[in-house]
Amino acid sequence: MISDMTVEELMESVKKGKMKSDEIVDYFKKRSEELDKKLSAYISKCEIKENEGGLNGIPFAVKDNMQLEGTKTTCASKILENYGSTYTATAVKRLLNEGAVALAKTNMDEFAMGSSTEFSAFFPTKNPWDLGRVPGGSSGGSAAAVAAGMVPFALGSDTGGSIRQPASFCGIVGYKPSYGLVSRYGLAAFASSMDQIGPLAKSVRDAALITEIMAGKDPKDATTVDKKIDLLKGVENSIEGMRMAIPKEFLKDLSPDVKMVFQEAIEKFEKMGTKIEEVSIPSLKYAVSVYYIIAPAEASSNLSRYDGIRYGLRIEEDTIDGIYNQTRNKGFGREVKRRIMLGTFTLSATYYDAYFDKAQKVRTLIKREMDEVLSSHDAILGPTTPNVAFKFGELSSPLDYYLQDIYTIPANLAGLPAMSLPMGFVNNMPIGLQIMTKRFEDAKMMRIARSYEKARGKFPMPKLNGGDER
Amino acid sequence: MKSVIGLEIHTQLSTKTKAFCSCKNEVDAEPNTNICPVCTGQPGALPVLNDEVVEYAIRAAAALNCEIHEVSSFDRKNYFYPDLPKGYQITQYFHPIATNGYIVLDNGKKIRIRRIHIEEDAGKMFHSSETITQATSSLVDLNRCGIPLIEIVTEPDMEKPEEAREFMEKLRDILRTIGVSTGNMEEGALRCDANVSVHDDKRSSSRVEVKNINSFKFVQKALEYEIKRITKAMEAGENVPQETRGWDSSTKSTVSMRSKEAENDYRYFPEPDLPVLVVSKERIERIKKSLPELPDEKSKRYVEKLGVKEENAKILSKEPELSEYFEEVVKAGVSAKDASNWIVNEVLGLFNADGLEFKGEKVPIKHLKKIIEYTNTSKISRLAAKEVLAEVYKSGKDPDEIVKERNLLQVSNEDELIAVVKEVIEENPDTVQKYKNGKTSVVGFFVGGVMKKTKGKADPKVVGKLVKQLLDGES
Ligand SMILES: [Zn+2]
Repeated sequence: MISDMTVEELMESVKKGKMKSDEIVDYFKKRSEELDKKLSAYISKCEIKENEGGLNGIPFAVKDNMQLEGTKTTCASKILENYGSTYTATAVKRLLNEGAVALAKTNMDEFAMGSSTEFSAFFPTKNPWDLGRVPGGSSGGSAAAVAAGMVPFALGSDTGGSIRQPASFCGIVGYKPSYGLVSRYGLAAFASSMDQIGPLAKSVRDAALITEIMAGKDPKDATTVDKKIDLLKGVENSIEGMRMAIPKEFLKDLSPDVKMVFQEAIEKFEKMGTKIEEVSIPSLKYAVSVYYIIAPAEASSNLSRYDGIRYGLRIEEDTIDGIYNQTRNKGFGREVKRRIMLGTFTLSATYYDAYFDKAQKVRTLIKREMDEVLSSHDAILGPTTPNVAFKFGELSSPLDYYLQDIYTIPANLAGLPAMSLPMGFVNNMPIGLQIMTKRFEDAKMMRIARSYEKARGKFPMPKLNGGDER
Repeated sequence: MKSVIGLEIHTQLSTKTKAFCSCKNEVDAEPNTNICPVCTGQPGALPVLNDEVVEYAIRAAAALNCEIHEVSSFDRKNYFYPDLPKGYQITQYFHPIATNGYIVLDNGKKIRIRRIHIEEDAGKMFHSSETITQATSSLVDLNRCGIPLIEIVTEPDMEKPEEAREFMEKLRDILRTIGVSTGNMEEGALRCDANVSVHDDKRSSSRVEVKNINSFKFVQKALEYEIKRITKAMEAGENVPQETRGWDSSTKSTVSMRSKEAENDYRYFPEPDLPVLVVSKERIERIKKSLPELPDEKSKRYVEKLGVKEENAKILSKEPELSEYFEEVVKAGVSAKDASNWIVNEVLGLFNADGLEFKGEKVPIKHLKKIIEYTNTSKISRLAAKEVLAEVYKSGKDPDEIVKERNLLQVSNEDELIAVVKEVIEENPDTVQKYKNGKTSVVGFFVGGVMKKTKGKADPKVVGKLVKQLLDGES
């Protein structure tokens, strides 16, 4: 079946003349057409090919918070519902330069704020494993599309787990590169100090391959680093003798079912000859609090540009303040407004020291404690999410949603590379294993992930009918 | 009553491109042509610091005697306004690039500079009426948006409006000399907000900020007005609220813009899109060493080394173009005294009369040199010289040509002049009598008569000598 082939396999079959790249594109277009009716993964469709190259004819989808000329970039928000991209994001551009074909812009939580796509201003996306459940978020559209085989890979953005959590919920690989490895130019900012573009893919090798193309210094993003990281080279090497850390803070509130699956994963690591050690990172208990101060603060500033003056939605009023108020009131959804208010509050002169400044200090502490553990261990392991995908409407309070990110947030706070890859099922729903390494040790992280992937064996795809007649 | 004045000055840097994108730094281009995703605040666009901005800011900081920091950083100042596309301005709030500088006024008083920081300019708005609240429509031009600025904040070290004006003029002269800004206040390349309060032994007023001051003259006028207004209110026992007022140059008065309570909370926080700015010691030293001679040092040198009058030296050292011109004239062989007198009194006079800024090419150095030489050798009279200079300024013609065309060559040949002198003496027997009675000052009268008859061409020195000879000879 073409739909479960990896990018590498597709490239291989084109090379061997088994398939033509046009056929691949047509196949995925058709399958997307069929399955999107069930999943609502896409906000808009397109077919953008700019070049011939190594990824010739490999289709992909792009989260709708990345600029791509020739498409709208809505950020799943009413305020940008009709915003036509004015340029193409660097990461996307680099893939197009290699011949990849953009087929869709995917659904997400509005401005990437959420973990279910329920906060998309347009419609929620469904989990291909169970249409009654969320695909996770905020890159839920990208995760669902890849899991369902609508595209071989997709791009997401990860600020607090927005690639890894939906990857975990949908049973695929999701990778958040080290902060500074992939350019953010063209990614509508949520929390600039943590946002990072990364791939959602079917295999560790695909994730490495795609990221290698996207990564590297971008003169348009001052936070990118001038580092050449070879992610594929050495990815098949053994990890025997490595030391893995498991923070006991990650296991404390875990359900017995998830714990069991994780235990099996750990046993595989032991079999591979790695040493497993339980460690403690006490400051992790503040991670969610710190994140929900810093991220909304940055967001409140980043989203100020959506004011109805130059582009996007504009509600006409008699005064300039009226335009601002009504445009932003009608243009933003509840969750976005909640975070803007939260961020505006914590940055206000009166509360800056008590909240934002203190959070920055604790962030430094978390970073230091994680670096410490990683100076004596090769990686930190844990489940990606506390549980499997929840049902639509199952969570009610904002706090329930915020706690979804409890394991994924630390990597964003510390700028570390982190990957979620499928480790098993709980109640027939997939759940992911998370691997974190030191910043810019992305290659080592890949290698560990690949070793586990091999030990685990092929992970199944959800059973969905659509376009797969061949 | 005494007043205390501090200034906050914004200077546009004349870099080639904007502060955080590669758009051209050209304010007066067609509206909204020098723009891009970055400076129009498109989703996903990111700022990247233009290194030339750093260079210029350090140059200014060094010229203003500041401590320059090897590590500084950028912050966001958040507020909503249609000329601010991102909804925040990138500035340096927590850690500015330079602190603790000063400028010394002519009276020897040191005005301390608290800090200098880099930031970006906003766009320009055009309202259908005076203010945005009254306007039914407004247009925005984003060409100016993202143009690099440095903000210079002084300590409240000034006591008189004249001092504030002098500070601003000195600052402009320095910025122009080091080539980082045009320093043009009328065009908004240099902007000044003034903080002022008034006090005596017993009481002191709140601090009032005066904005929209757009000329050097108005720096003084606005402060004079404001100090008078505050003093009057205090003497009447009225409360002077802390507020921001705007200078209105048409009514020559200030009007309240907003009270302290209405001040924005700018929610400053570190700009996550830009790494900290690190400048090496070596780079700072290199820039310091590369600074040109500043106006005050130059003026001192003109006085001490070249013997130029102090008032002339001050004027000549203000503008780099002018001082270069002066030095070129001296280099061409004219004495510093002549060069300075001629340039300050005559050449600048021509530009001032037209309300123009000095432009060296309007009076070519070789032409000026010729005019000065001809005057010194009595080839033409001083009066004729002024006429020739004015014509050079107007048409750029060669002085020789002008002298020839207008027949301005001075007659100093005694044989040619003696007849005219005789004529004048004969025509004025009464005055001759006065001379003979001992009133020798009437010589000037005869010289004047000769000059008139020769249409100014006679050499007055020679004429004077001849008059005396003839009158004395007759007795
Ligand atoms: Zn620009």
